[in-house]
Amino acid sequence: MEFRNELVKICEQYPEFKFNFHYRNWETDFLRFYQSQINYNISKTSITLSTTMHKGKKSYSFSLKNPTNAKLLEKIEEVKMIIDKLPEDPDFIDLEDDLTKSKEKEKLNNVEKVSLDKKIDILKKLAKVVEPFNFKIYGTFICNYKILYIINSNGVNKREINSPIFLEVKAVSNKNEVTVLETYGGENFNTFDVERFTKDLSAKVEAATGEIVDVEPGEYEVVLAPRCVGDYLMYLESSMTAHSLDSKMSFFEGKLDKKVFPENITITDDPEHPDLINFDYNHDGHIYKKLPIIEKGVFKNFMVDNYYGRKLKMKKNGAEGAGLIMKTGNKTKEELIGSIKKGLYISSLHYMNFINRKETSVTGLTRDGTFLIEDGKLTKVVNNLRFTEKISDIICGITDIENRSYTIPSSSNYGEFQIYSAKIPHVKVKGFKISSSTRTV
Amino acid sequence: MKKLVIDIINKLNTPEISYADVRFTNTDDQTVYFEKGNLKHFGSDMDSMSLGIRVLVNGCWGFAGTTILTDASIEKTIKKAIANAKVGSRFRREPASFKKLKPVKASYTFAPKEDPFQMDDKFKIDYHEKIAKKLVGNEKIVYSYIYTVFYRQYKIFANTEGTFVDSFVYDTMPMMYVLASDGKETMCRTWPGHMNGRRGGFEVVRNVKMEENADKIIEEAIKLLDAPRIEEERADIIIGGGHLALQLHESVGHATEADRIFGKEISYAGKTFIKPAMLGTFEYGSKIVNIFSDSTNEGGMGFHLVDDEGTPGASVDIVKNGILLDQQTSQETAALLEVQPSSNMLASFADDIPLIRMTNFCLAPGKGSLGDLIKSTENGYYIDFTKTWSIDDNRNNFQFTTEIGWKIENGELKGIVKEPTYYGITPEFWAACNGICGPEEWEFHGTFHCGKGEPGQSMHLSHGVAPARFKNIVCNVKA
Repeated sequence: MEFRNELVKICEQYPEFKFNFHYRNWETDFLRFYQSQINYNISKTSITLSTTMHKGKKSYSFSLKNPTNAKLLEKIEEVKMIIDKLPEDPDFIDLEDDLTKSKEKEKLNNVEKVSLDKKIDILKKLAKVVEPFNFKIYGTFICNYKILYIINSNGVNKREINSPIFLEVKAVSNKNEVTVLETYGGENFNTFDVERFTKDLSAKVEAATGEIVDVEPGEYEVVLAPRCVGDYLMYLESSMTAHSLDSKMSFFEGKLDKKVFPENITITDDPEHPDLINFDYNHDGHIYKKLPIIEKGVFKNFMVDNYYGRKLKMKKNGAEGAGLIMKTGNKTKEELIGSIKKGLYISSLHYMNFINRKETSVTGLTRDGTFLIEDGKLTKVVNNLRFTEKISDIICGITDIENRSYTIPSSSNYGEFQIYSAKIPHVKVKGFKISSSTRTV
Repeated sequence: MKKLVIDIINKLNTPEISYADVRFTNTDDQTVYFEKGNLKHFGSDMDSMSLGIRVLVNGCWGFAGTTILTDASIEKTIKKAIANAKVGSRFRREPASFKKLKPVKASYTFAPKEDPFQMDDKFKIDYHEKIAKKLVGNEKIVYSYIYTVFYRQYKIFANTEGTFVDSFVYDTMPMMYVLASDGKETMCRTWPGHMNGRRGGFEVVRNVKMEENADKIIEEAIKLLDAPRIEEERADIIIGGGHLALQLHESVGHATEADRIFGKEISYAGKTFIKPAMLGTFEYGSKIVNIFSDSTNEGGMGFHLVDDEGTPGASVDIVKNGILLDQQTSQETAALLEVQPSSNMLASFADDIPLIRMTNFCLAPGKGSLGDLIKSTENGYYIDFTKTWSIDDNRNNFQFTTEIGWKIENGELKGIVKEPTYYGITPEFWAACNGICGPEEWEFHGTFHCGKGEPGQSMHLSHGVAPARFKNIVCNVKA
């Protein structure tokens, strides 16, 4: 708190500059397990100040670990010697000026609340549940706690706290390495229902004990699990930013308010939804509120930050895609599967990458449980498969949507291991293109 | 800081702790980034100091790291590492154990020809600005960028076996990119491609000759808009060094990390199709395929005197005459596989836990020039510059797209093709290798961005390769 005030003072002390500060205090407790035992436990702490100093249209950025006022002042003096020599960025107009504040809720520190002992008790229970099926558990159990202050010379002075919990359990067959996945993500550990988690995991394990088969490349009717849909939307999201529009890599260029997907597709970005990990502000410190992205198939909004909003003369909205919600349909999961004579159920995706971002063409693989659907039932395990497909075609191919949605956590993995979540139902897709088999599970 | 590290390791030298190591790193980096001809980012992270403590108690690893180097924080970090191991051992069935190594005491400093951190900032800006302006001259180029990341890291390593080593290295990563559009589609070209990291200072930027290649990539990106795609179902392909480095990285490098065999990376990076019984017998490739892990070569970013658990740098044959011989290992996994540790345990920063990582992971050269290899190819494609990469959980099925390819007819390069895409199954693909260029074409390529672990770490590593030919590869995959 004290250092936050120092940063505000520095903004006032150097009126010839505009400062943008991100001051973060971060800690994590990170447990990794394999073969139903601990791999290792990691605890990390860091305090970082990221600063950009602007003088007119010139700027310089630097970062300090464990910053002090003296260190910061020394660095500012260094930058003063450099900044005039730099070329201007003609596209820079001003820093964020949205002073709207969220409730800036206090949050429990889950690093402290969910102890290592508690985590181990849960993992022991899960290991015991899969053992009779000749499976072992592998995965991660993470708690983070981050306080972020965003302060700038335009009067932005905001605080955001996140303390996500992320549990990812893969049950892997000792016999043939068939793998299934169950996850939990949230900020309130009271919402973690260990009995439900155990039941869902063991149901998946049971389904994964069947015969393993391969399928030929070709087009299939598939049911995509919520995690897969979330992954496709996350990749598509890179086309929804003002930056992608500026760099001519957006699929949605020229498509604002136009129908791009079928009428059954409605997607919203809601960082305040009670079932999701919540965020108050975007990276500029702009208030981050619910925003429609696709409404009944019509593309409604780009996610616009300060820099590109000003450059492209678009209205800033602070959206970042950290809380995507897909509107549910009217079929149960069983009805989706039950309506397919021969097709695939895909649980999870792996190593997806764009071939051509603007065209949304990607290749990637299935992972953690791919199943053959025969006469409306999951009958066999299928080797992991490669798809080569346009995401826009996949979404256009959605014929039915489940009437229930699930909270799906995901992590950015690098740096501070930020954890996000989305709320997504199962979907049925026609003409899903499988390009090859991996011949392994 | 040396004293601090020694003091901590002395505190950890207790009967309760069967092994411990302590690392300290101080890292500097600086980035120059121009987008569409304008300076978008110039900045630095200097003196990023961190400390990491790893202990083995009751056969279980505990680790704690921090960037807060006060006495109280360090004390807390020591206690946390020990507690993490102790509590964790409640859920550790098979204790980790390995043989003691001979202690090493040594020091290493890499001296760049041109130290970017001592150079005038204005010079670096002007150097990149001149090229950035060249990239925006053509109306069909709708987006472009050029950047260089300069990096140096000082590291102290000590363990309870008596090893104490410090090192100081410099790495540099330059890159430029253009995107061409005709209003209907977009095509890109990069230089020197995605395997663009090298050991060294500003001389690395000069060596990749970005200014000399700016017009070339602009012209190629524009020509790609009207270029055909590969239509044949299968073709012989010659893969250029930059992309072959990534092919090697994904389909052999990661596949032969021993932690994957034991499932330690299933939750994120994945497994491997390799099983312990394959060592010494499995045909990974054709007889001309020789692959080795070499942390003793100072030319690559994977050089070190000892890895991050004190194993001395080593050159280890992974594939010899096409046969899989060994793995990249830690002390713990080497003991499980009953092989010698290969010196591959590394962490990006001191507050990261060491993992099995590639160092200088290389394909040994064969014979002849690239020109000779093309001449000896009746029909096929020469492809390079990675655009898309993807490989499955077991490192068995991969698919790559490169930015550009050139058709080969009767041993001569003809017109270009856009987005050549090929896929394969790892051992079948390497078995199809029927030509590798000689030492005159062999060079290090590398990256700063090899991702692994949770929390994720980005590792600097190198691949020594020469262009190579693969016969009858599936190459007409389309979205």
